[in-house]
Amino acid sequence: MLDTSISSKAVRWLANVFFLGALCFAAVALLLGDVFFLRLATEALIFGGLALSVDLLLGGVGLLPLGQALFFGLGAYVSALVLKEWQASFWIALGVALLVSALAGLVGGVIAIRAKGVYFALISFGLAQVISKVVFNTRELGASDGIIGVPQASVAPGLSSGDPVSFFLVTLTLIFSFYVGLRYLMDTPLGRQLSAIRTNEHRVAFLGFSTWRFKLFAFVMAACVAGLSGALYPMLRGFVSPELMFFQVSGNAVINVIVGGTGTLIGPLYGSALLTGLRSVVGSYTVHHQIVIGLLFMAVVVMFPRGLMGYLIPLLQKRMQKRRASSQGDF
Amino acid sequence: MIMKLITTLIATTPLSLIAFAQMGPIRIGVVTPLSGTYAGIGQQVKWGLDMAAKEINAGGGVMGRQIELIYEDEEANPAVAVQKAEKLFQVGKVDFLTGTVNSGSTLAVGQVAERNGRLIATTVSFADSITADKCSPNVFRVNARAGMQSAALAEWMATTKPNANIFYLGPDYEMGRSTVAAFKMAAESKGAKTVGEVFAPLDNKDYSPFFGQMRSSRPTVIYTSVAGNDTVRLFTQMAEFGLNRNVQLVGASGTVTSQNLQAIGKAADGFVTGVGYSPNIDSADNKKFVAAFEAANKAQPDLYGADSYGVLFFYKAAVEKAKSTDTDKVRTAMRGLQWATPQGLKVMRAGDHQAMQDMYAVRVNGGKFEIVGKVAADAAIGPDACTNF
Amino acid sequence: MNEALEWLQFVLAPQMINGLSIGVAVMLMALGLTIIFGLLDVINMAHGEFYAIGAYMAVTLLSLGLSFWWALALTPLVMAALGYVTERELIQRVFHSKDRHTLTLLLTFGMAIVLEDVLKIIFGANPVRIETPIPGGTELVGLFFPNYRLFVMGMGGLLIAAVWLMVYRTPLGAIVRAAAFDRQMSASLGVPVSKVYAATFAFGVALAGLAGVLLAPIYSVFPTMGRDFVLIAFSVVIIGGMGSIKGAVLAGLLLTQVQSISSLFISPVWNDPVLFGIMVLVLMWRPQGLFGKFGHA
Repeated sequence: MLDTSISSKAVRWLANVFFLGALCFAAVALLLGDVFFLRLATEALIFGGLALSVDLLLGGVGLLPLGQALFFGLGAYVSALVLKEWQASFWIALGVALLVSALAGLVGGVIAIRAKGVYFALISFGLAQVISKVVFNTRELGASDGIIGVPQASVAPGLSSGDPVSFFLVTLTLIFSFYVGLRYLMDTPLGRQLSAIRTNEHRVAFLGFSTWRFKLFAFVMAACVAGLSGALYPMLRGFVSPELMFFQVSGNAVINVIVGGTGTLIGPLYGSALLTGLRSVVGSYTVHHQIVIGLLFMAVVVMFPRGLMGYLIPLLQKRMQKRRASSQGDF
Repeated sequence: MIMKLITTLIATTPLSLIAFAQMGPIRIGVVTPLSGTYAGIGQQVKWGLDMAAKEINAGGGVMGRQIELIYEDEEANPAVAVQKAEKLFQVGKVDFLTGTVNSGSTLAVGQVAERNGRLIATTVSFADSITADKCSPNVFRVNARAGMQSAALAEWMATTKPNANIFYLGPDYEMGRSTVAAFKMAAESKGAKTVGEVFAPLDNKDYSPFFGQMRSSRPTVIYTSVAGNDTVRLFTQMAEFGLNRNVQLVGASGTVTSQNLQAIGKAADGFVTGVGYSPNIDSADNKKFVAAFEAANKAQPDLYGADSYGVLFFYKAAVEKAKSTDTDKVRTAMRGLQWATPQGLKVMRAGDHQAMQDMYAVRVNGGKFEIVGKVAADAAIGPDACTNF
Repeated sequence: MNEALEWLQFVLAPQMINGLSIGVAVMLMALGLTIIFGLLDVINMAHGEFYAIGAYMAVTLLSLGLSFWWALALTPLVMAALGYVTERELIQRVFHSKDRHTLTLLLTFGMAIVLEDVLKIIFGANPVRIETPIPGGTELVGLFFPNYRLFVMGMGGLLIAAVWLMVYRTPLGAIVRAAAFDRQMSASLGVPVSKVYAATFAFGVALAGLAGVLLAPIYSVFPTMGRDFVLIAFSVVIIGGMGSIKGAVLAGLLLTQVQSISSLFISPVWNDPVLFGIMVLVLMWRPQGLFGKFGHA
């Protein structure tokens, strides 16, 4: 039986491990003067943000989004355009991306929210397909080549996205704030509503709540998180391309969430970190990395549907219980 | 006498120490699609590079140093290509990088190269923009670009089918449309007439909805810029419906390649395109190259394999001319460089880093690419539109 | 008046007939998908890969020297066996959880990733083609139609009719429908429900494989071909109603005709967005599709 106070303690412990671990990693990388691994880790965090947005919908509300890359890519393109054409400022790019994502989330949500389960998944998938095709064909957006030549964004005087360590820390801070924000949200009455909707939507309606409004809110929130994460991508890599909206990205995000642990919010971050690293390493050894990832994913779905977190949290729980019991038993 | 010997030894030791330090292999990174839709092209790129590296190493390497190729799979996705390129530059410490296939990847990786102070060369990407409006001082192209291919084809058509009625069918995306537009301009300037233009979605399954329009416009020439699996479907379906009788099929150089030739089969016979390479080029160098390639890989080389083979010799020549692998020195050496390839002599134009070469009009016949026309390098190249450096 | 008739005969009619050959392909795919969902409540995202496997199987059998007709007959049998095993070993494992829809979707999604790469490993990345088994064409309504396509249309129609008959007019079909409608009750009446489930999945997979063989000479064979029909098949199934055979057939027919005819007036690039738009509208206003669910149809 899950003791919520202990389980959330376990989750908090795991979250601390993750963020502290990231800080240590940054320190080590700084000492070694590394660039590649820092950028790879930053990329893992950016896609972790996308995974967070998927988990908000899947673990929070019970809706499986197969096209979340749409908002991610949208945020990326908006950010790239702002940085390149208007002002190379971190804050302006994020601000505009937030606005656009919220709007897009609203429109997309109104279309998609009416559907449930697999229908929602397919609408989400279809939306991403259609919009990404439009972007792929629009010459002003660089068409199939995307937009290159995006300048580095300045976060604060002296702090720009070109420096690997400082941008890693900036991204970490942003993702951390997403995590904390969403964590807090799930504990508010609003968050409880969403959990209730996930558990049994019909009943919630009978209790007098308009489920539609809550789901739409969650959808827009998820779109914003995805869009803001996407906005960081061109700052890191200096370019955007339509592939950022393709199904591969959405699919990878879902895999990251499932492997990490749905509904835990920290699970997707672990999943993203693990799988980004895995993909990079496996890809260097064999061309058939898709099979490896696919088989791993299938194994997780069949044997560990609660993901890595689902495996670790009960373990931690037991240890914490033992410790609590033993400390209480001592006179 | 002994004093002289000793002083000579003392004098030369520091030099030999430095030389010893540089004796390690020259590492060249290859970021190419080894999985996914373009895996076939990546395969040819790999074959070409491997063969060139083997030959160069067997002949003593470059300035005495062996070449080491490090491969990474870019999955035809610029985001992955950029990550792998950075890995190769930062972790793999490669001196030079090549292998990108689609234009988006080449452009994005070019940026990474700029940031890391290294040079890259593409052997496949043919979008004009790479050596035109989006040119970069760190990006070189050794293969022919789209404009050159169109020029060769238009020239051939003007002589064999003057004032033809042309029907255009292209894949509906930016690249497909611009390829059609480029050829249309070249053809119309030589007197051809356009009788129809349609664009089909990428990965279109069934082209029969277009056949009515095609038939009723009564073309003498049909131009298409579809590629890969789309070509297989288009050509075989056209053959099914009897649309390829009494019509000259022409198209872009990527339309029929060794990857899809076997699948298209007889339906490709008679297709003519403008391209920078054919295994049938009648020169001693090429014959030797094709024979060695076939022996090593049990497959014929196509333009991707041949150009990838050539790029290592390009790099070798540049390094030997610059007497160093330092980026700026090599870049200067590359500009205006002439080097020998299976297709003949190529010249790297300094203004835009685009290789100049003779272009061929090639006809597919029974699984072979016969040469039916030739356009000299300076006639095909087109103006230098690069203003970034 | 004459012009209008000419337009009807030489422009509209061939467009519709060509649309029919595409429609048959889509209908076969949608049929398998809707049967699997209707009975098993399983969303099979790997359906396209089974289609691809069927096509590759035909390629393999042909390269072994068998004729196309043997390939056509044998492939569905092999595919059925493959489907049976898949259902028993993989799908069953996630079947009994509350999140069945999501988990089967994810599991089959993972399967699709793996299968696509496996096909690439075995057969290489380049396309392959099977020669048209019935070459040549005939004149119909003053226009030329390839014989093989006419065959595909006829064969497809027969298959669809056969499936319908089997499901609605035979005892076996009744058993299958009963198991879909009420699993517990059927089990208590002596129906070997888990075997029926596995067999139904196998049947859906066999249909996909058969579509793969039939269409290989027209659409060629390559490792990513599984993605060809995914979106359109799912859209058709949703619009027709998940689980409804009548829905899959009628929606498939209708939608491909709409696409064919509209491509006379607007660029075919809009085919997918238009289809998607219709799907969204249907989901917003009549989520159960045109004809509702299998067990209840």
